[in-house]
Parts: sequence; C-alpha cells; structure tokens
Amino acid sequence: MPKNPAMRRAKPARGPEKKRRHGPRLPTTMRRELDAMGPAPTRGSDDEEVSDVGAEDVYEYEEGVPEEEAGKNGRYDAVAKYEYEFDSDASEADEDVPSEEGEDMEEDENDDGEDEEKQIRILQETTGMPREAFDGKKRKQPLELPLQHGDGPVTIHDLLDNIQGKPGYSKVRKRLQQQEKKTMVMAAPLPKVEREKLERRVTYDTSRGELTKWERKVKHNREAPTLFFENDSNLGVNTIAAIANEFKPRTEFEKRIAEITRSTEIMEAHKNDGAKILELNKIDVEDVRERQNRLAKMRSLLFRHEMKAKRVKKIKSRTYHRMLKKDKLKAASADFEADPEAAKDYAMKQEFKRAEERMTLKHKNTSKWAKRILKRGLSVQDEGTRAAIAAQLQQNALLTRKMNSMKDDSSSEGSSDDDDDENDSEAKMLNRGKEKILKVLEEDKEIPNSGVFSLPFMERAMKKQEDAAYEEARQALEEYDDSLRKLEDDNTEQNEDLIKVTGKRTFGPAKNTHKNVNKRQKLEETENSDSEYDSDPAQHLGDDEATTKQDDIKLGTALLDDEQNDLYRSFDDIMKNPGPKTTFEVGMLAGDSWKTVKSSKGNDNDITNKSKLQAPSIVDLNPKQWDNNPDSDSEEEMVEGFLTISDTKESYELPSQAELIRQAFAGDDVEAEFEKDKMEVLNEENPEPEKPALVPGWGQWTDIQQKKGLPSWMIKEHEIAKRNREEALKRRKDSKLKHVIISEHVDKKVEKYLVRNLPFPYTSKDVYEQSIRMPIGPDFNPAISVSALNRPAIVKKPGVIIKPIQYEEVDPHQKPDEPKRVIQRVTPNQNAKKASSKQSKGATSHKRKW
Amino acid sequence: MAPARVNAEKQDAEDELEMKVEKYSRGKGADLKALRDKKLKGQLAVKEKLYGQSAKVAAKAEKWLMPSEEGFLEPDNLEKTYRFPQESIVQEVDLLSSRKPFDMILPVLGPYTIEYTSNGRYMLVGGRKGHLAMMDMLNMDLIKEFQVRETVRDVAFLHNEQMYAVAQKKYPYIYNQHGAEIHCLKEHGKALKLQFLTKQFLLASINSFGQLHYQDVSTGEMIANYRTGLGRTDVMRANPYNAVIGLGHAAGKVTMWKPTSVKPLVTMLCHHGPVTALAFDRGGHLMATAGVDRKIKIWDLRKYEVVKSYAARGQSLDFSQKGLLACSNGSQVEIYRDFGGHDYRLYMKHRMLKGYQVGKVLFRPYEDILGIGHSMGLSSILVPGSGEPNFDTFIDNPMETTKQKREKEIHALLDKLPPDTIMLNPNLIATVRAPKKKEKKTKKEIEEEMEEAIEAAKNTEHKKKTKGRSKPSKRAKKKEEGVFRAKRPFLEQSKEVVGRPDKKQRIGEEVELPKALQRFAKKPQS
Repeated sequence: MPKNPAMRRAKPARGPEKKRRHGPRLPTTMRRELDAMGPAPTRGSDDEEVSDVGAEDVYEYEEGVPEEEAGKNGRYDAVAKYEYEFDSDASEADEDVPSEEGEDMEEDENDDGEDEEKQIRILQETTGMPREAFDGKKRKQPLELPLQHGDGPVTIHDLLDNIQGKPGYSKVRKRLQQQEKKTMVMAAPLPKVEREKLERRVTYDTSRGELTKWERKVKHNREAPTLFFENDSNLGVNTIAAIANEFKPRTEFEKRIAEITRSTEIMEAHKNDGAKILELNKIDVEDVRERQNRLAKMRSLLFRHEMKAKRVKKIKSRTYHRMLKKDKLKAASADFEADPEAAKDYAMKQEFKRAEERMTLKHKNTSKWAKRILKRGLSVQDEGTRAAIAAQLQQNALLTRKMNSMKDDSSSEGSSDDDDDENDSEAKMLNRGKEKILKVLEEDKEIPNSGVFSLPFMERAMKKQEDAAYEEARQALEEYDDSLRKLEDDNTEQNEDLIKVTGKRTFGPAKNTHKNVNKRQKLEETENSDSEYDSDPAQHLGDDEATTKQDDIKLGTALLDDEQNDLYRSFDDIMKNPGPKTTFEVGMLAGDSWKTVKSSKGNDNDITNKSKLQAPSIVDLNPKQWDNNPDSDSEEEMVEGFLTISDTKESYELPSQAELIRQAFAGDDVEAEFEKDKMEVLNEENPEPEKPALVPGWGQWTDIQQKKGLPSWMIKEHEIAKRNREEALKRRKDSKLKHVIISEHVDKKVEKYLVRNLPFPYTSKDVYEQSIRMPIGPDFNPAISVSALNRPAIVKKPGVIIKPIQYEEVDPHQKPDEPKRVIQRVTPNQNAKKASSKQSKGATSHKRKW
Repeated sequence: MAPARVNAEKQDAEDELEMKVEKYSRGKGADLKALRDKKLKGQLAVKEKLYGQSAKVAAKAEKWLMPSEEGFLEPDNLEKTYRFPQESIVQEVDLLSSRKPFDMILPVLGPYTIEYTSNGRYMLVGGRKGHLAMMDMLNMDLIKEFQVRETVRDVAFLHNEQMYAVAQKKYPYIYNQHGAEIHCLKEHGKALKLQFLTKQFLLASINSFGQLHYQDVSTGEMIANYRTGLGRTDVMRANPYNAVIGLGHAAGKVTMWKPTSVKPLVTMLCHHGPVTALAFDRGGHLMATAGVDRKIKIWDLRKYEVVKSYAARGQSLDFSQKGLLACSNGSQVEIYRDFGGHDYRLYMKHRMLKGYQVGKVLFRPYEDILGIGHSMGLSSILVPGSGEPNFDTFIDNPMETTKQKREKEIHALLDKLPPDTIMLNPNLIATVRAPKKKEKKTKKEIEEEMEEAIEAAKNTEHKKKTKGRSKPSKRAKKKEEGVFRAKRPFLEQSKEVVGRPDKKQRIGEEVELPKALQRFAKKPQS
C-alpha cells in the first residue's frame, strides 16, 4: 500500500462513491491473487478499488464521471483503449508517481479525459461546430466486458468468464462454488442506537488517545520551574561530530585518504577487533547451569516456606497459639540475656507501646463498651465483666507506669567505663552494691491506686514498711559510703571529667567518690534549683524526670541530702574545718518559706531527722560554693607579671548576720512578689469569671426560691467559664514555668508580617513553612544557585510571540530540574509532522497541522 | 593499611561535609510524598533540589574558603589552662598578636567603660569623669580624644565609627568621629545605659526612672517610650539574634522588650537579689545573668530554664563570638568555656592589680582579645579562641577601606528593618498566623454569607397547604419574608463592621447651623 499521507486522507471524502459498493465482491485475498496473475483483464472490477487507493484530492471531483466508467454498452472501440494505455505510460513517466503495483491507472485515465477535453475544445474552435458533434468520438470503457443486457449488476460469474482458460482459473472457480454452496445469510444491520453507541465509543477512544498524548507534555510544562519562550535560533549545525559526518572528500588528497580509511580491509580489521573484545564476554555453560540450579532451589525453598506459612496461619486452635506465644516469649527472654541488642529492641517496643497507651488511653475506659458499662454502673455488672474492666485498668496502669528507662543503665555503664582505667575493682563493687540498693529503694514505692492497696490503712502500712526498708537500705548505703571514702583517701587522683547527673535516678551510678568535687557542684545545683522553686520541684529536678508524685521527690531529695551530707563531711575531712556551719544555721532558720527546718546539720549521725528534710536553704550553701571555687587551684598562685598580682588569695569574709538575714528575706520577698505579679498578668490576660450572683430582688420571691439558692444554669455557666479559664492558663507557654511570665498579648503590628491564610496550592501549614525556610537572597546563597532560585516562572523576551503549544515527544523519565526551553520554530518541524500524521491514522478529517 | 587509612579519612571528610550541608540546609524539607497536589509536589521537589545544591555549595565554600579555626589553650596532661598567666601566653603567640594586649593607666578620670565597633576595629573609651576617646585598634592610634566635663555613664557606637552616642550627666549626646556634638537626645533623659540595634538603626536607652526609649537614628524619630515600672537599672543588653532588649532589675527579674509592646515580652525571675549583669550569646539562645545573690546562671532562652548555675559574683558579663563567657569580679576576670553541652567551665583567669575594680569586660570581635575597662584605665588581654577567625566581608570587615565603608553604610540603610520586625522568634515572619479566637469578619465575608443564606431561604420548599393558603401570591409573600428574615442578622453585622452608626446622621439633622453659615453646609441629598 502506498504510504503517501495525502492519498490516505482522501478516503473519508469519498462519501457518495461508497454507495456503489453494494454488489457481491471478491474477497481481498482473492483479488490480490488475481492481480498477481495479470492486471489487465480484471481492470473493470478493480476500478473502484483503484480509485479508492490512488485517488488524489485534486481529482476527486472528476471521479464521479459516469459516462466513462458506468458506460457498459461497449460503445468504445479497442483502439481508444490502446491509445489510453500508451498515454498512461507516458504520464506515469512524467509525473513519477510512486505506484508499486502498477494498477492505479485512474489518474492516467483522468489525464486522458483532460486531453480529450482539450482536443474537443480545439476541434470546436477550428471547426466552429457544436460540442455534441465531437462528443461521439469519445472513447471509453477500457475493459473488455462481455456485452450486458439490461441494467443488471455485474456478477462474479461475469468476471470469471473473462479469465476462463487462464492458469489458476479452476482454483478460483472451485472456491467460488464452495462459497456459493454455503448459503450466506447477511446479518441484519444493527439497530441505529447500537450503531451510534459503537461509533461514539470508537470516537471516544480515538479522541482520548489524541488527548492523552498531550498529557506528558503538559505535565512537563507544569512542573518545569521556568518556561523560556524563544524563537528558533538553531542554525542547523549542532556539533563537530555532525559536521564531520557530513564531510565529503573533494580534493584528490581527501579522496585518497577516504579511500584508505573506508577500504574494506580496514573496516574488517576494525570489526574483528570488536569481535575479539566480545569474545572475552563469553560465559561458561557450567556457570550458567549452576546459577540456574541455585535459583531454582531458592525458588522452591521459598515456595515451600510460603506454603508452610499459609498453613500455619490458618490454624485457629487457641491452645496452639497460646503455646506458640509462650515459646516466643521464652525465646525472646533467652535472647535478652544473650544479646543486649534484642533486649534493647524489646525495650523499645515496650516503650512505644507505653507511649501509645499514654497517647490513646485505649485501656482507660475510653472504649464504647467500657463507657456503656460504666454508665450502667459497675455494681450492676456480673463478675466477668467486672473482671474484664479491672483487667483493662490493670493493663493501663501497667502500660502507663513510669519505667526504669534504658538510659539509666547505659549511663551507669558509661560512667563505670569512664573510670575503668583508674578505678580499682573494689570501688566498683561498692558502687554497684549501692546502685542496687538505690534501685530497690526506688522500685518499691509504686503504690497501686486501685484495689485493696489503695485503701488508706493499707497505704499507711505500706508506707511504714517502706520506711523501714528504706532505713535499712540507707544504713547499707552509709556503710558503702564509708568504705568508699576510705578508698578515696588512698586515691588522690582527681578526675575532672564530669558525669551528667540528672534527676534522682542517676545519682546512684554517679557515686564515684573521686569525682567528688564535680559531683558536689552538681548536687548543689540540683538542690539550689530545688530550693528556689520548691513548690514545683519535679520540674526543676531534671528534665528527664517529670514525676509528679510528691513522695517520690521527697524520697529523692532526702536521699540527696543524705549523700550530700556525707560528701560534705568527707570533703570537710579532707579540706577544711567545718567552721562556718554553725553560722549558717541562722540564715537557714530565718528563712520561713521552707516547710521543715533542719535543726542540726552539723550532726552527721542524725539520720532520721534528715530524711524528712525537704531541701536546705540556699544561703547555707553559699560559703561552701565559695570555697569550692578556689579549691581546684587552691594554693596555687598566679605568676607575677603583666598587671597580674599573685599575692592575694581570695580571702572571703563572712557576711554579717544582718546581711544574711536581709538576703534571705529579700529572696523570699522576690519570689512571692513574682508569683503575685504573675497572677496579675494571668488575670489580666485571662480574666477570672464573675461569681454567680442574683440581681437583688430577682428570684427571691419565695422561701423556696431562696432555699434553692442560685439556679443551676448559673452555676453551670460559672463552672464552664472557670474551666475554660483554667484550660487557657494551662495552654499558656509559661504554665509550667513558675519563674517565667511570657506575654501572650498579640501584637497587631507583627501581624502584618504574618500570612493570614495558607497560600493557595498549599494545604498544610508545615509544608508551607518548610518551603520558605531557606532564604533565597544573594547574601545567603552561592552565586550559582541564586539565579536559579529567583528565576521567574516564565522568561520571555519582548517581541517573542508565544505560539500555541506544539506536540513533541517527551521523555517521561526526565525530571524537570532544569528550566525548560520552549523553542518555537517558524515552520513546524518535520518530526512533529510525521508523528502527527502517524497519530491521525484512522482519525476523521484531521487537517490541522501542529 | 595505608588505603584503609585513606578511606577512613575520606569518610571523615564526607561526614564533616554532610554535617555542614545539614547546617546550611536549615532543617529538613517537607515530606513530599504526603502531598496530593501533583503540581505543587513537582515544584517543591525542584525547589528542594535547588536548596540542596545551594547548601552543598555553601558547605564546600566553608570548607575551602574558611579554613581557619579558633585555637584554644591546650594544656598538657596535668596543667590547667586557667593557670596560664598572660605572660606565658604572650610569649607563645605570634608577633602581631603579642602586640595587642596592653594596659593603659589613666588614674584621673575614673572608671572606664569601653565599646567596640561591630567589626572590632575601633574602640570607644568613656571615663566616668568625662573622658572620651576613640582609637583605631588596628594600628593603635588615637583618632580623637576630648573631655566633656561631665559624667559619662555609657558609650555606644552607632552603625559605624563615624558616630557614637554617649550617655552623659543629663542626656545622651551623639558625637561624630571628630568629637563634634551632633545631637542632644533630650527625650531620653538621664540615660544610664545605651544599646544600638544595628539592623534596625535604633538607639535604645534606659534612664534613671526606669524608662526605656527607642529612637531611630536614621530618621530621628522616637519609636517608643515605655515605663518599665521596675525601678532604676543600669543592666541592659540587646540580644544579637533578635534585637530584643534584655533588662535586669533590682527584684531579680530579667525582662525582655521590643519597641512595639508596652508590656515586657518575657519576665523571668532569675535571681533572688538584684541582677548585676546580663549577656546574650551570639546565637541568641543562651543568656548569662549574674546577681547579687552570688550566682551566675546560664539560661536556655528556648526553654527559659537554667542550664548551669555557678556560685560566683559577676559585675559584668560578656559572651564572645565563639561562645566564651567573660565575667568580672572585683579585680579578677574569669573566662569560661563551653566544653560541650553547655558545660561551661573555667578556662582562663586574669587578675588585675589589687584595687583595680573591673567595670566592664568586652570581647573584641574578630580578635582573640578581651577588653577590660576598670577603675584605673583600661587593658586588653589575650584570650585564645574567643574571636571569630573567618570574617565575612558582607557582614563585617575589620580591614574596611573608606569606599567599602561608604558602600556598606548605604546598603545598611537600604536594608534597614522596621522596628516591628523585632520579635522573640524572628523566624515567625511570613508564617501562617495562629487563628484568633474571635475574628471580626470582613465586609466581603459577611456579604458572601448573606448571599448564601438568601439563596438557602429562596430554595426552601414550602408545604402545600389547602384552602387557598398556597396561592401563588401567598407563596411569594412567604418567600419574601423568609429572605428578609435570613438577611436581617447579616445586615446588623455589617453595620457593626462598618462602624457607622446612624447617630452621626441624627446629629447632622439636629444641629442647626447659624443662618450665615447655612449656605456653606452640604446640601442634603434628596
């Protein structure tokens, strides 16, 4: 078939001609065969087909000339036909029409018609006779058809008669007869609705294809950060390689060189070289087989495993699963002992579970079921339900309880690692013992808040018990401390490395005595912060420990005190006489903000008293802190020189009693004052709701009304307002910071720098804020990226006309990182045209050029 | 062996580069996979890639163009850095640096306060009894020295060394580099302390009545004047990160201010006694305070919590560019260094002659030098590792030429930030503002809502009723009523928003102009 697009496009335009195709026709295969046998005799039957294939747009209007084609009366003689044939050859040579099968003589015929017209015109002019006179001369009917009688249509038999006796005739006839035996029943044409539906579908499909091909390009354009519109400035020469490719030898010398380089020998040699390289790539058959085997084995293994998993998964037996779970647990516990990694994993999982629980409170009677039951009353429920509820709560308690985190362990390990090199094993052992005791002490203070243990007397008893145990433990600790101190006396080396001591949990491991000095500083700090904001101690004790249980803290601080005391004592033993202590008691006694006052700090052995102590005052610490500073460089002197002076060692004079008292009171005042200030600010920003009160004279008419008191709605309103206020206070940034007031006042002048609504394409605030996190100016970015960051979405030179979008192939995998250049050609490029013509195959009249 | 080492080194270098890239990419990008808008996703992906490239290039530039690192004193195993005297340090350093430390004994004109320009080149010296001097510290020459013959409480450079402000007996004054008095800022009153906010061109002062003044020095406009209500204080510092002014008060409070808010942004109770000194880190997240209660505390300003607390006195505090903290106490100067994780420990110690009371310590920018103003003059000591070793000429150039200086002045003026931009978290700019509890609707919004309501009222189906009650006329009437009812609340609202009550009109009607003036009155539209 000819590939000329113009010819194909002619097809749909042949509307009226189609109607003539009704008669019985040979199947296409047969027709082809016939064509192969010889073109001339079958011309008549082929006529339509020919016009179908070879018609050009230009000739269409002449195609329907009936006198020439439909003239079946054989008026025309054979001579005319010969003439026609001759003519056709000539015209073909002239026009150089690509005709592969040599059967599109149609146009030639038309040519002939034109010639004839001309002839007639010439005759008319020369003779002056009317046109009709010459019309009779017209030769037509190129086919040798048998004479027809009447207007009956041409049958296949008519056509067959023509080729009688030619080779292949019998074959054709036989097939025809076979076909005729089968009585063909023409299917009734589809109803119009159906047909139209089909048509629509086809149209839809094609048009969809037509549109979707644009998708890529459009997507590309939309995603491109910048579109450049520029005119085609391509001069046609791309690369040096391209130029070299088009090189043709012209001079003698060039020709000779070309001859040599393109000679077969050299080419061959080149090729052989390549083949040699390829040879190295050969793979051993054995290897391949082995690999295949291995793969097959793996596959089969996998398959079996899968099958097994499927089977196991289907098992519904409860006992089986229970056993499985048990096994797993056992294995896991064994694992934990074996490798810490698994233990860590497990701990992480647990931690996650607990966090989840804290977040969702899934087991805290939040479920629909639990709520319903609680609503109906727990006492009404049967035993099982109650048990279930209790179990759930238990689960919740288990999950939300504070755990010994992994951190402590690691830190203790780290610290022990730290002093591995310098510490002897004895100290380590002692430390470990101490640690353990501390742990025990800590662990035992969990008081269940439900069940029998929550009863007050049980609680009391437990506390007593705890105290006793605690006492015991402390004595043990004391012992440890003593021995440690002894050790430390020997050990003169001072380690400067600090261990992070945070919260009560970790001071166990930090109890290495040769880190005495640093640790003491730390302890002081924690204590200081404690005393400064002692009504909210949990928060200041350490960030990691946000325990709110008061007794925990008491215990912690008490422990702290204890140890600190010991430490101080030890320190004093080593360094100083405990002189100033007596004087400090005054300041301490003066401070009235502390709930309990230590009566005898100097007395080291009095332990029971101290355990009740909450926190010592700050003032008593100061002198010690003071001498803490010079202790590190204690007796060392600075070398004289420059402007420095070395003789004076900081001589600290004790402040007078009056001053101490003043300071202590000043501190108190400051705190109270600040609290008051904060309250004021809070009240100002979130005013307290007015107390509910009746308007005098209203709602007090009768005795009953007065007895009833305020109406319930008023009280409710008040409560709601109160709750709202509390929530608002809780939401404040400074709600947990006792010593800070952060103004929540909204500054209107700042508001103009904020975005009121999220800008359009963004749907989430985070994404938007993250997208503007980088400054894009030249001060913050290297010169390379500044221009790229600040380029407008469309770049266009003035005067460039933006043409409608052109279709071109786009590589779908190419990312639109670089700015996209849309190059507009004056004439649509050749490739695009080709592609479009390919696309328009089967489409309806598609004359638009891209 | 060797290739392994090379590999390890390579790995190290890559890790370092990665860290730097992280620093420059300023946090992580958004999670693009969660985005549903494909167009936005594509655009953001491209943007993120550009950001990544930019960060990488910046990191590389840092690696290759800013190779110098600060060097600290490095002790042998048993030595302590704070035992090194200045003498021995001076002996070890290069010739140029060894010329920088000095002592200037000026016993007559009282305790001295000092100030450096932001590029560290010029120093301004103010003697309590009226001595003012400006020095070029690069070539150590005196530019101008004069006597104002009255108390000088504080000195501050303005945007460059061309002008400086001096808080004198009654008012602050502005002088130019030749010592000519340019302005007298009477509105500030008896200022005790001055601070200049470079980016905003604001001169902030606190006076003896505890009033905080902000004045724009480029326009001369008084931006703000607030009563702190917390008494007299001379402890004031600007946070270099966000230009918020911190004040330390007698009640142990530290308050933070901005020019657009009457109330302090943050009030913190830092000490039990009066606050004596205050300093902010360059990054703006750390604050050091010293109080009469013999404590020096280091605060994390993101959490408003104490990071570290020392028992020591501090008369004045200062953070260096590289985060060293200098603290003066009597005649002694101590320098603390961050040993990782805000663990500030004593790094250096310097003792002046006995009886010299140190008034002010100030690190010199871009140099390893600490300037000390004391009762007998001024001195400067070497503090290795205090200054930023790589300077960015876009920001500050210690070797500035005159032309560059001029250029920079213009640029600074063009880039001047309005005073509203001062806020606790400057990164907040251009973010989405938090929704207000009750926001007044705009007129347009009200109209839209009204239209909706009207539409809804129009479309309501009325029941079919018998006995002529569903006559078309009745239905139309009902519909009209419904529309009116829907409209009414919105009309009232819009009236509120517009804020034009009918009162005005009534007044216009009531008040009769005198007859002579009536012809000038606007004619009532009829």
